[in-house]
Amino acid sequence: MSKKILEVKNLTVHFYTYAGIVKAIEEVSFDVFEGETFALVGETGCGKSVTARAITQLIESPGRIVRGEVYYNPDGERLNLLELPDEEIRTIRGNDIAYIFQDPQSSLDPLYNVGYQVSESLFVHGRVKSIKDGIKKAVNILRTVLLPDPERRVSNYPHELSGGMKQRVTIGIGISNDPRILIADEPTTALDVTVQAQILWLIKEMKKRYGVTVILITHDMGVVADMADRVAVMYAGKIVEVAEVTEVFKNPVHPYTQGLLKAVPNPLKKIERLETIPGTVPSLINPPSGCRFHPRCPEISKVCKEKIPELREVKKNHFVACHNR
Amino acid sequence: MSQDEYYRGILDRISDAFIGLFVYLISTIRKGWREKNRSRIAEWKLMFYALNRSPPGVIGLFLVTIFVFLGIFGPLIAPYKYNYFPIFENSKTYLSPPGEFFVLGADHFGRDLLSLLLQGARTSLVISIIVILLGVPAGIILGLIAGYFGGKIDELIMRITDMFLAFPPLILAIAFAAVLPDRISYLINTYPPLQQFLLWLFALERTEGGNLSRLLAVMIAMAVVWWPGYARITRGSTLTEREALYVESARAIGLPSSKIMLRHILPNIIGPILVYVTLDFGTVVLTEAGLSFLGLGATPPIADWGRIVYDGTQFFPNAWWLIIFPGFIVFLDVLGWNLLGDALRDVLDPKLRRSIEFKVKKVKKSKTKDMEIKEVEHE
Amino acid sequence: MSLSEAEYMVQENSRTLLRVENLKKYFPVKGLFFTKGYVKAVDDVSFTIEKGETFGLVGESGCGKTTVGRTILRLIEPTGGRIVYEGRDVTKFRKNEMGWFRKKAQIMFQDPYSSLNPRQTVFQLVMEPVKHHGIGVDDPEDFVVELLELVGLNEGHLYRYPHEFSGGQRQRIAMARILSLKPDFVVLDEPTSALDVSVQANILNTLKDIQEDMDLTYLFISHDLGIVKYMSHRTGVMYLGKIVEVGESDRLFEEPLHPYTKLLFSAIPVPDPDIEKSKGKIEVQGEPPSPINPPSGCRFHPRCPYAKEICREKEPEFKEIEKNHQVACWLY
Repeated sequence: MSKKILEVKNLTVHFYTYAGIVKAIEEVSFDVFEGETFALVGETGCGKSVTARAITQLIESPGRIVRGEVYYNPDGERLNLLELPDEEIRTIRGNDIAYIFQDPQSSLDPLYNVGYQVSESLFVHGRVKSIKDGIKKAVNILRTVLLPDPERRVSNYPHELSGGMKQRVTIGIGISNDPRILIADEPTTALDVTVQAQILWLIKEMKKRYGVTVILITHDMGVVADMADRVAVMYAGKIVEVAEVTEVFKNPVHPYTQGLLKAVPNPLKKIERLETIPGTVPSLINPPSGCRFHPRCPEISKVCKEKIPELREVKKNHFVACHNR
Repeated sequence: MSQDEYYRGILDRISDAFIGLFVYLISTIRKGWREKNRSRIAEWKLMFYALNRSPPGVIGLFLVTIFVFLGIFGPLIAPYKYNYFPIFENSKTYLSPPGEFFVLGADHFGRDLLSLLLQGARTSLVISIIVILLGVPAGIILGLIAGYFGGKIDELIMRITDMFLAFPPLILAIAFAAVLPDRISYLINTYPPLQQFLLWLFALERTEGGNLSRLLAVMIAMAVVWWPGYARITRGSTLTEREALYVESARAIGLPSSKIMLRHILPNIIGPILVYVTLDFGTVVLTEAGLSFLGLGATPPIADWGRIVYDGTQFFPNAWWLIIFPGFIVFLDVLGWNLLGDALRDVLDPKLRRSIEFKVKKVKKSKTKDMEIKEVEHE
Repeated sequence: MSLSEAEYMVQENSRTLLRVENLKKYFPVKGLFFTKGYVKAVDDVSFTIEKGETFGLVGESGCGKTTVGRTILRLIEPTGGRIVYEGRDVTKFRKNEMGWFRKKAQIMFQDPYSSLNPRQTVFQLVMEPVKHHGIGVDDPEDFVVELLELVGLNEGHLYRYPHEFSGGQRQRIAMARILSLKPDFVVLDEPTSALDVSVQANILNTLKDIQEDMDLTYLFISHDLGIVKYMSHRTGVMYLGKIVEVGESDRLFEEPLHPYTKLLFSAIPVPDPDIEKSKGKIEVQGEPPSPINPPSGCRFHPRCPYAKEICREKEPEFKEIEKNHQVACWLY
């Protein structure tokens, strides 16, 4: 297996509010290997986006990274991203680690044309001498993300492009500085299925061409099956299971993962009745004691209420946080 | 699971106690009210909780409470009557400075300035209430209709609104003050109960019946120019709100437009309107004082803050207290309403209210109890 | 229920509840002074729904599926076509007939966060339709509690406000509100797309149970093929304001005929890595064109890998390829 490019250790992020401390993620640890697509899956509020943002300190007040380390290991170095001062983390963000967010509408500035915006990201990281110089490069970048007619499109404003094209532009901005890691936070949730297929294909293509490592955040098990090499399933701010993608789908071990997979209707199968997970996602201000899934778990034992389960390797490269496995 | 677990300061405890008393009073009259309205009570507490997070808002509420109190009880607690002229008994009271005969000094009739200010509090409160009661409902209804139906109706109503907005209020007030008083006094004199009611409202003596009409003329002039603002904001909020799915859901069960507007849209847009009303209480006070200062509106001996300043200008700077004190009172009153209005913006919007709930605690308490918000019951 | 004499009565198959014929809805696009053109959101759509079945309508955003649902209930007035409900033409209904129709046909919306009036308690929300239609209820509280229990809520929720509930629970409140009128027909407009998967499964199952208990007919609108397949007996696929294929769900999902349906099926990621990584993907060309100036002929031809000359020129007719399976495509 190739080397670990990113190691996340005991990452904990809390949001301090009047209502109480929202324990958004608690003791999250995982490794990402160079060149793979690593998926973080979970339902709304499970902390997957917070995790992705915390990697480069993108947590805004009232949130705070309470504990943890994030080691980024480019060639021969070992940097703890959470200890870097503001200027240094900024050069890493966008340059080494780039983001694509869910809503292309709000991640592009409506006041500038797309060429300017791509060029600006090149200029900020010192790839070009001026924004003007960058426009030419921007055309090439937009060509690689398969934006039709890039020469003309560079002078278009975001509102003149469709949702899919806008997402292509944000991907273009993402890859403009040859990042080592691309963090895609629900990149296709706002798009239609046929456009989603195009964008997912494009991300795969970019991965092939530039050897970039992709961290994919999604709630859609279908997208995971399509894209990921390895998967981490999150529930209520904790990782409950990490394994290779086929393992997760074929032999899910954690009861939550099992429930989640059975709750998704597969269009290719005849399903008489969907199985459901009883209850709802708990409040993160006062999460359940012990295993956070225990109030909804079908196979609960006494220890589940008392002790927080650790991630254990149940099979080679298959980690589960559950007392009963 | 109760929200009694909030972090609560002294203000929150006072407001909670206040609400608790209110709830107790209602539930003694109507059995079972408390049980059915738990959520509403919690929401009230949260409103005050949100207000208590904003010190200017609390100061505003404090000032407003004082001025409303003075508006109601001022004429009763005033040491002297507004139409008692000491100058006839003692010529030294003429423009006597503060402390000599009266605490805040006297005007050129020797009247006690403090009493005049207290009496004036009633005048300004009653005028604000009447102007807003006359102007606001009309504006709201027109705005609702324009926003909900849209198209030609919207166009028609809003163009009329524009016309009214284009009309200079001062000139209208002057014109009304010139033309209306005669008709109004005729009207008032033909209906003695109306006259008595108005006198009671302003806490005036019988003899002042004739002076009412000028005051009323200015109030009507103000009401006429006041509604267009409300028509505009109501229309704006209605436009966004009518797209909400609950409006469509109401249509899907067959509710007629009037019910949808009044029962569904209005309660959901009333927040910003109330903010506007609160701010306008201050503006009306200011405008009325301004008009009185120009000699329109209240005529002596009716006590009116603007009028006191107007009369005082002749004796400035010797009799500085005739300008400074009423001016300061108007300033405090207007400031109070404005501070309160700004704070209410956050308090009355259910979404903002909740976001306040989630704002960072600036003062870190060492013993942070694990507090929880009202948690949604498990499905 | 008295109906006007002018009412157009149709000889109806007794099992058919709703027949939509050539339904059209054009939204004008306003220019500065004149109407610049029309968004043909729904253009010549026809289908029937039988009593007790769930008819699924699937398509991408902007294909007009939501507009179809709303036009059927006349929340939006149709531009043309007929909507025949129990043999009566809904488009010709006048006030008191609409009152009757509003009791019979209901709609459940996509977004539970905006479909419930935040100022009403659950009790008010559920009672409002009943009150409005003047239906006598012995004990309002018991009546509401009974409905709440039917949809999986309880008495304790009676006097709460919507913001105190999660998305799934809000959809349950919306269900109770709809069911209070004991309707026969419910349009479900993406009822679970705002919800998480684990909650979604719960809601879908509840909807199925209620359908059996109360003998309801559903029009199920969704963009999610998996859900449509799970919920509906028959399915129609929409593209740019037109239905391109209709068939029994099992058959349609097994063997889609129209190239767009095939494309949709190949584009949707299936939660199974083996299938997903091995399945041959149809190269998707371009994005859905604007419905303001839809392409001539078959609307799918610019993106269709099998497009022929005729596709550009003439609009394809609906053809029955096998029993209960129709498709509008020149390939067949």
